[in-house]
Amino acid sequence: MGTATGIIRALNSGIKHLAIKRFTLRYPEEKLKFVGDGYQFDPSTGVGIAGLKGRHMLFHDHCTGCQLCSIACEGVAEAIAMVKVPEEQKQNKKSIMPQIDYGKCVFCGLCVDACPFYALYMTNDYELSSFTKEGLIYTPAQLAVKPYLTQDSEIQITDRGATHG
Amino acid sequence: MTMTDIMPPGLALKKVDERIMTLNVGPQHPGSGHMRIVVQIDGDYIVACDPDPGYVHRGEEKMAEYRNYITNVPHLERPVIHDSCNVLYPYVLGAEEILGIEVPERAKYVRVICSELNRCIYTMYWLAIYGIFLGHSTMFMWPAGDRELLIDLMEKVSGARVTHAHFIPGGVRNDLPANFEDVCLRQVNYFEKRIKEYAAVFYDNPILISRTQDTGVLSRENAIRYGTTGSVLRASGVDYDLRVKAPYDVYDELDVHTNVMKEGDSYARSKVPWLDMMESCNIIRQALQKMPKSGSVRTKLKPNPKTKGPATVYKRVESGRGSLGCYIVSDGKTEPYRVKMSVPSFRNLLAMPNLLIGEKLGNMPSVYWSLNYWPVEADR
Repeated sequence: MGTATGIIRALNSGIKHLAIKRFTLRYPEEKLKFVGDGYQFDPSTGVGIAGLKGRHMLFHDHCTGCQLCSIACEGVAEAIAMVKVPEEQKQNKKSIMPQIDYGKCVFCGLCVDACPFYALYMTNDYELSSFTKEGLIYTPAQLAVKPYLTQDSEIQITDRGATHG
Repeated sequence: MTMTDIMPPGLALKKVDERIMTLNVGPQHPGSGHMRIVVQIDGDYIVACDPDPGYVHRGEEKMAEYRNYITNVPHLERPVIHDSCNVLYPYVLGAEEILGIEVPERAKYVRVICSELNRCIYTMYWLAIYGIFLGHSTMFMWPAGDRELLIDLMEKVSGARVTHAHFIPGGVRNDLPANFEDVCLRQVNYFEKRIKEYAAVFYDNPILISRTQDTGVLSRENAIRYGTTGSVLRASGVDYDLRVKAPYDVYDELDVHTNVMKEGDSYARSKVPWLDMMESCNIIRQALQKMPKSGSVRTKLKPNPKTKGPATVYKRVESGRGSLGCYIVSDGKTEPYRVKMSVPSFRNLLAMPNLLIGEKLGNMPSVYWSLNYWPVEADR
């Protein structure tokens, strides 16, 4: 193959893309859809459930204040601190619950694996940026809120190329 | 021992006469990554070269001595976040032997799929940087965009785009999501179709061929002598791939073909990873077909598991850059006594001073990056 033919072939393969659909995801107007409601863990089988490792969700009626999540995080990021909560739960004698610093968290999900009481899960919420360091610290009350999300884009593959539909 | 000690006599950085200029490339330079390359040039030609890694040393090995076998998982995959499953693989295999746990059959197949997906993700990133080093903007945009197809798959499996923390002693963290086989097959097939298009725009491009052919030639003897691994070794004509020569997990049940090229120049070193990506697509398709359709993927384990007693393990896998080993010494406590990672990047770097002698300075980025070197992994 000659030099000229090679260059023309190279240019041609690029020009073809003018007729192909755009692959770019237009974030934040479009957001990717994830499987499930976030990473969860079933302590009875010891196997996790697939999902995005995003912001945590804490179920106050399940948390016993056993600190296992905090101990699991000690070797990873030291992001979890146990803090006093004003409310009184029947199963939580010490009234302590995890408070998570997302400035430190690496989203590995080992705290979710450590929880034996179905109290700590992860959600599909990944937009956690804040102007202050204090804004990244989520108290137990903030962690109990279920995020409201609109994520519906998926990769679609057609004859004219792939696109985020 | 410094780099200059292992160089052939007469090439070390000693004599500097008036014609020769010393040039620092890096450590923060788009052509070097987090690393400094001290080159001595005579006009436009390199007469001596001394790579100087060590700018992103994080003490991963020391950190591993203070954490138990489970909490070591998130930080040990940090050296190469694009290839995080493969970096973690030898540690996980070694920890399983020390802890004495069996891995379910389905988990082994899931690991192979994740490992191959990660190899492609890493190689696409590497290829994108290689394209921009050569001033080929299309080759930067296309691989950077197309690797999203596979990152999307890994995100569905593990819940994170990079740094998946998915492999764990005892299997994998979670099972594949519902309907994953169909989505994976569709996206991998499209991915393979896309990377075949790179031939016209990049690998058959006469401009690339004239720039990379016969530059930085590493002979077969030298490739073995310097201890290079992976695509660098295979591009010099040595048929060596751990997936075939020393299969781990279920690679012995899969049909793996090794891509070998004889030339040993920059062009061959950049083409072998591209051919390997197509082989990875084949492996993923085979693994999806042979995988048990149901069953557990993780052996139940306490958050702080106990070891069986003092033990020493060395495990190695074929990563995106070459053979990656992990040596674990256990003294019977819940933390490892010592974790040593033997990384392909550092071994491939040893060949670099020899390759650059007599090359033009403009060819330095292409020779350097074709060695499949990842600065963060070499420093750990």
